Amino acid sequence: MLAWPHWLVVVVLVPLLGAVLTPVVSLRSRHVAPWWALGVMSVTSTAALFLILRVAAEGPFSYLPGGWVPPYGIELRFDEFSASISVICLIGWLAVLYSLRYVEWLREVPKQRIPYYYSLLLLNLGGMIGFVITGDLFNMFVFLEILSLSAYALVAFSGEHIAEMAAFKYLLMGAISSLLVLFSVGILFGVTGSLNMADVATRLASAEPVAPAALALGMLTVGLMVKAALFPVHIWLPDAHAIAPSPISAVLSGLVVKIGIIGMIRVYQIYNSANMIDLHMLNQTLVWLGAISIVMGAFFAIFQDDIKLMLAYSTISNIGYIVMGLGLSTNSSIIGGSAHVFNHALIKATLFFAAGGLIYRTGYRTLTDLRGIGRSMPLTCIAISIGAISIVGIPPTAGFFCKWYIALGAFEADQPFFGFALIFGALFIFIYYIRMVNAFYFQAPTRPEILEVEEAPASILFPTLLLAVLCLTVGPIPLTFIKPAAELLLAPLGG
Amino acid sequence: MKKAFVAALLIITAIPLLIGVAALPPHGETTAPVHTHISARYLMRGAEEAGADNIVTGVLLNYRGLDTAGEVTVIFTALVAGLAVLITRRKEPGAKADSAARGDVPAPPPVSPVVSFVVQLLAPFIALFAVYVILNGHVTPGGGFQGGAILGALFIALTIVLGEGRTRSLMPRLALPWMQGAALISFVVVGVLGAGLTGYFLGFPAEASLHLVRELMMLVLEAGIGLGGAAIFATLFLQMEAE
Amino acid sequence: MLQALWDNLDYVAPVVLFCIGLYIIIAKNNLIKKFLGLNIMETAVFSFIIALGVVDGGDAPIMGADARAPFASPVPQALVLTGIVVAVSTTALALSLIIRIYRQCGTIEADELREME
Repeated sequence: MLAWPHWLVVVVLVPLLGAVLTPVVSLRSRHVAPWWALGVMSVTSTAALFLILRVAAEGPFSYLPGGWVPPYGIELRFDEFSASISVICLIGWLAVLYSLRYVEWLREVPKQRIPYYYSLLLLNLGGMIGFVITGDLFNMFVFLEILSLSAYALVAFSGEHIAEMAAFKYLLMGAISSLLVLFSVGILFGVTGSLNMADVATRLASAEPVAPAALALGMLTVGLMVKAALFPVHIWLPDAHAIAPSPISAVLSGLVVKIGIIGMIRVYQIYNSANMIDLHMLNQTLVWLGAISIVMGAFFAIFQDDIKLMLAYSTISNIGYIVMGLGLSTNSSIIGGSAHVFNHALIKATLFFAAGGLIYRTGYRTLTDLRGIGRSMPLTCIAISIGAISIVGIPPTAGFFCKWYIALGAFEADQPFFGFALIFGALFIFIYYIRMVNAFYFQAPTRPEILEVEEAPASILFPTLLLAVLCLTVGPIPLTFIKPAAELLLAPLGG
Repeated sequence: MKKAFVAALLIITAIPLLIGVAALPPHGETTAPVHTHISARYLMRGAEEAGADNIVTGVLLNYRGLDTAGEVTVIFTALVAGLAVLITRRKEPGAKADSAARGDVPAPPPVSPVVSFVVQLLAPFIALFAVYVILNGHVTPGGGFQGGAILGALFIALTIVLGEGRTRSLMPRLALPWMQGAALISFVVVGVLGAGLTGYFLGFPAEASLHLVRELMMLVLEAGIGLGGAAIFATLFLQMEAE
Repeated sequence: MLQALWDNLDYVAPVVLFCIGLYIIIAKNNLIKKFLGLNIMETAVFSFIIALGVVDGGDAPIMGADARAPFASPVPQALVLTGIVVAVSTTALALSLIIRIYRQCGTIEADELREME
């Protein structure tokens, strides 16, 4: 069962085919759509489980659709970084369950749209899975487009006043960044004559002159960092993530921005093993931008009253941590940074799920209005508090280990300044989450009716609590799992 | 201020791009890596290996079939995205009259009888041409997307001329979602069949005895892509027009 | 440098087109114009990739009795066909969004929309 080769193509085609069939199955009744999506994600998760067990047992492996040997055909490749499909499947499955009640409740949304919502969500998840497991540059671009297009539409889905505007802004920046990626795929093809990542890497090693390859590296970095919302190309993120329906915010903030990071890891894999360009300058730029993102995201988050806007700014800050970890390029910092890809996904999904639960029951979304909610919705508020201490990085939560490793990396790299920037950022983050917890538990309610609301319904509460428990327990697992891959990422540099 | 910023940004973009492309292998020469590496094998053996004289089709459907499966998913995403954004509640009868009275929605100008006649006269020939382009894609330039686009355009032209009521009957409610998804569905069907025959998803049997099967698989793919594309363009057009 | 640019004029032209598109996106105020700028950028990238596969005096890569080498590389053509479909999809979604924005706000000028927020 474990060695059945076709799981690798099943895991990407099942969600995509499921999305295509969603309108078909909901012809008779639109209430079938969420259950169908849940079933599709269950199958996908099973396939993902087999793949992860196999990569843990025997290391990276490939699948060749059509049977063409690379570089002539497309190669699907599953390595340790691809194991991030575990979080994609987990959060995707929970987001579908969460949407069951949440989407029906959105007042602005006409009911006929709802099957298309599940279709888009499945397309988005399938696109991400494909992006993570492909070993081909152009195929990566195709999956990038599937996931980006569906993400733009999901932002606009909420039907709120400025949702379409936020989606359009996101689309414009996202489309430019996709074009930069396509342009650099073209340049790399022009230089090497190949599209397979491993083949491009070997052929780049002997490529002369260096300028086109360097240009491609620069454009790939810019393009993928727009998707990841790193400073200064983060401007699309706050509106888009705050205005989307809460389960979508969790998927966007937890997973979709990480796609930029995973793409960047793939680019590093190529350029590190080609070893034809000195990556030092790029790394140093990324570290600086990461540090600015950390401080700036945290700084803006302090001034937000809207709870989802606050979480959105906090995402920018956490992307800063990850990018800084990658840019420092020492052993510990890369392990910490890539493990934070997993852990931040869990934490941020917990926070958005919990915030969505509050909004679902009360209809309010600002800290001022939500004062005193801890008394009437204790479980949701416990989840949000766990998320908060986890994101600040208090041991033994998921956030602690990653930030510890990144800080360690900064001192290892002999750049203690960034270690301090990281701690300084954590302090900011601490302030605004304290503000939130304080408002929920200790301040007198401004809206008396808030004390009357019930706890969130089970389909919303269960995903929130499950993720909160995971935040407390799984922290170290990604660290140990990603270690061999992270060391491999560095190896050709001799670091 | 803004002008200076725009100029600076353009210069920052243009200079590295120019330096980069100037150093690319010289344009148009057969010694460039583009021509010597994977392309060389495609040109040399593509016609027999992939079963299509048109190598571009061979690359699209056979060597890089998964890309094309992803690509048809992208158009399907555009359809679902468009519908998810555009569908609004059925308007109350009063609302439409109200907005028409304010002049928001001008009545469409009448179609000239000449245009109407010519479109209807040409319609069967355009449809025939579309089918030819779809089915002949592996020998001549063309293929599913191009044919699908022609079919979609024909549908749009007919809708403009005849009105929505008469063309909508071409897309029955129960069959429509199947038609929209036809492309990816045909990819999965052919892919699973290929997995049974060759052991690889989307594999095409190379044995001479299965020559006809391979031909048939390609035709199913092309027809699925064409039908799916046409249905998606038509639906998006109708939905945008309704807004 | 100038000589190299002149030799690779077929790659320089798409770069110029790319920058024109970028200029329109940043400088124009109307959402549809911004979007047309994006379409120009897309065209630029497609023509760049197509130019990569061109051979001087080459033929279309279609085999047959009277086919004669050299042939243009088939890969860029296949990539661009996929790229065009992606661009069409982006266009469809962007136009849908613009329609909705106009319905909700009554304008598609970026500065007026910003004031409304």
